[in-house]
Amino acid sequence: MRKQKLGVFLGTIGLAAVTGITGCASSNQAAPSEPATTDAGASAEVKQSSNAPVQIDFWYSVGGANGEMIEKLVKEYNESQKNIVVKPAYQGNYYENHTKVLSSVTAGNQPDVTMVEIASVGAFADAKVLEDLGSYAAGSEKKYIEGLMGNSYWEDKLYAIPFNRSTPLLYINRDMLKAAGLDPNGPKTWDEMRSFAEKMTKKDGGKTSVFGYSSPIDIWFYEAMVFQSGGEILSDDGKKLMINSEAGKAPLQYWTDMMKEGTMKAPPGEKYNAWDVASQDFLNQQVAMIFTTTGELKNMREKAKFDVGTAFLPANKSYGTPTGGANLVVLKKSPEEEKKAAFDFISWMTDTAQTTRWSAATGYMPVTNDALEAAEMKAVFDKDPNFKVAVDQLQYGKPRPMVPGYKELQEVIMTEIQKVVLGQSTIDDALKQAETKSEKLLKK
Amino acid sequence: MQPTMGTQQSSLVKEKVTMKKRSLSRWTETVRPYAYIMPALLFFCLFFFFPIGYMIYLSFHDWSLLDLSAMEWVGLANFQEIMLDSDFHLVVINTIIYTFGTVAISLVLSFFLALWLNRQAKIYGIMQAAVFSPHIISLVSVSMLWMWLMDPQYGLLNAILEFFGFPAYTWLADTSSALLSLILVSVWKGVGYNTIVFIAGLQSIPKDIYEAASLDRAGKLRTLAKITLPMLSPTLFFLTIINLISSFQVFDTIYIMTQGGPVNSTNMLVFYIYEQGMDFYNGGIASAASVVLLGLIGVMTFLHFWFAERRVHYR
Repeated sequence: MRKQKLGVFLGTIGLAAVTGITGCASSNQAAPSEPATTDAGASAEVKQSSNAPVQIDFWYSVGGANGEMIEKLVKEYNESQKNIVVKPAYQGNYYENHTKVLSSVTAGNQPDVTMVEIASVGAFADAKVLEDLGSYAAGSEKKYIEGLMGNSYWEDKLYAIPFNRSTPLLYINRDMLKAAGLDPNGPKTWDEMRSFAEKMTKKDGGKTSVFGYSSPIDIWFYEAMVFQSGGEILSDDGKKLMINSEAGKAPLQYWTDMMKEGTMKAPPGEKYNAWDVASQDFLNQQVAMIFTTTGELKNMREKAKFDVGTAFLPANKSYGTPTGGANLVVLKKSPEEEKKAAFDFISWMTDTAQTTRWSAATGYMPVTNDALEAAEMKAVFDKDPNFKVAVDQLQYGKPRPMVPGYKELQEVIMTEIQKVVLGQSTIDDALKQAETKSEKLLKK
Repeated sequence: MQPTMGTQQSSLVKEKVTMKKRSLSRWTETVRPYAYIMPALLFFCLFFFFPIGYMIYLSFHDWSLLDLSAMEWVGLANFQEIMLDSDFHLVVINTIIYTFGTVAISLVLSFFLALWLNRQAKIYGIMQAAVFSPHIISLVSVSMLWMWLMDPQYGLLNAILEFFGFPAYTWLADTSSALLSLILVSVWKGVGYNTIVFIAGLQSIPKDIYEAASLDRAGKLRTLAKITLPMLSPTLFFLTIINLISSFQVFDTIYIMTQGGPVNSTNMLVFYIYEQGMDFYNGGIASAASVVLLGLIGVMTFLHFWFAERRVHYR
């Protein structure tokens, strides 16, 4: 009886522990296993006869209408030539995709091409997961817009090609601005935005029915506002967090002041949930102005029942914005032949003809210099000047920090600034805390 | 009828052979059972004991999924780091609050539901099915559903509160209420299963005990305390363990509903392990935290068995 009980006991904790450990990984397994088998089949075929097309896997991380556009472009690429067949697969948001890519690299069934969020290019390149694209590109990388290449290089080597690139924009409800007698082009400075927000905020009894302004309490918008205040996130050598400074405090002071005045709403929800809430509030006309990505532009224009406008993020000391979105990379572990095919696909995907259509269909920026001059792109800009705002704002753009520990550090910063917004910490304490925690992370 | 020399000899030989046979059979007797359980044993070693051992091995290393070749022995450094990390303390405290909150509320609630629903009429059967239904819905759908219900602005719960003149509640949006909201979801999800198991337990209690009690004019409360509860203790014991362990490993609701926030207020062990290992590329920290999780569940289960040996009445 005792022995039996001991057995049950060991079994129970064993089972518990194993489900605890493997529980994390299991969700990632279904997706990679399928391309793996096709991979093996493809490379075997290639060896038998050189006429069979090379199959490559492409994992992407934008959903909805933007994801459909990717599928459409891939299909066209496959039909445009006979040597390469690309199999696209949607793998969740940027960070979910990163997780899947890493576990697939470990398991040896990685894709050949994938999107990587720009701030993570450094971590991936540093770990030697990515293929150096210098010899493949052989100078052709000069066709891309210079301001978008800041997150493409790691230790002076080319690892990533810009694809779905964005900046944050100020989205404005022009109908509401006009109704309040304000400049329909939107506010130009922080002070102006604050007074605009005050004029558009409406209260019904004790409840606010319309907020003037809303922004997800997210690292990306915080980075933008630090740049606008003349600051930096990291020192040039990437070893020191610089936000415990006037420029780092200014955005938090601005946000908390506006929340105190009742003119700003911090959308509830974590990470991308908060972004969805902000967009939804804007579409429902419960918020007059929001910060969100230019990648939402097409979606907003289609769904809004009012005149949607976009503008530069307002300036504090100057205009300023990080760029965002994802780059395309080739995985180092792929076979030689597939890597070549993969780069061919990337060049096609990001070439002027395709990037123009991609931009028009989504609101992301075109990525080549030629695209800005192309007749098709100009027609889009003329028809809806909102599509040009992000491109114009790029002159004030900076790359995102991309040291390997930045993913963890950005969560630390977000937690601290959320504490401030929720009133659980003072600005000084929060930034000091972030600075202390950063020391360990930046040493890696 | 005297036995001849020849037959004596042959019987001696026979004896030797049987002795040999016997020792052989004794040997096979000892080995054979292991041969029988070999497939199961291999299975357990491969899929249970090896992973546990490997996890412990990994917890003494600094490694990340980014670059497995750069694995480095660091001794107890990972454990030292999490033991000193105030975020990890918060994670453990959150897990404990969540676990005990969920298990206590869920078990008490389902016990009374079971007492109420343990009847023959059709309506009680329908009620049982209704209470059980959340159990068969996937946790992901449950999470999405409750996110909508708890939305501070468009959610049903706040609409109801406001309709009756109460102020809107913050639900998942504030550090003070997010953990409670997650407990509510898991109670809603788990109470049906517990109720059904309790009802099964109640129905297995022999009626004659109750008859004897009623002949002795024992009151309802007294019957409950002196007969129902003790007779139900194996069920209660089983449910407590199952619930404790599953609550300790909560992941899906956190992943979908809160991502550990706001400000880490709903960050719990398994999510912490996932985040460290998969998002922040700190494999060593993740493995060390997994060992802590294994230890905590082990201690809890051990205490339970120790307690059960004294208090649970098996028949």
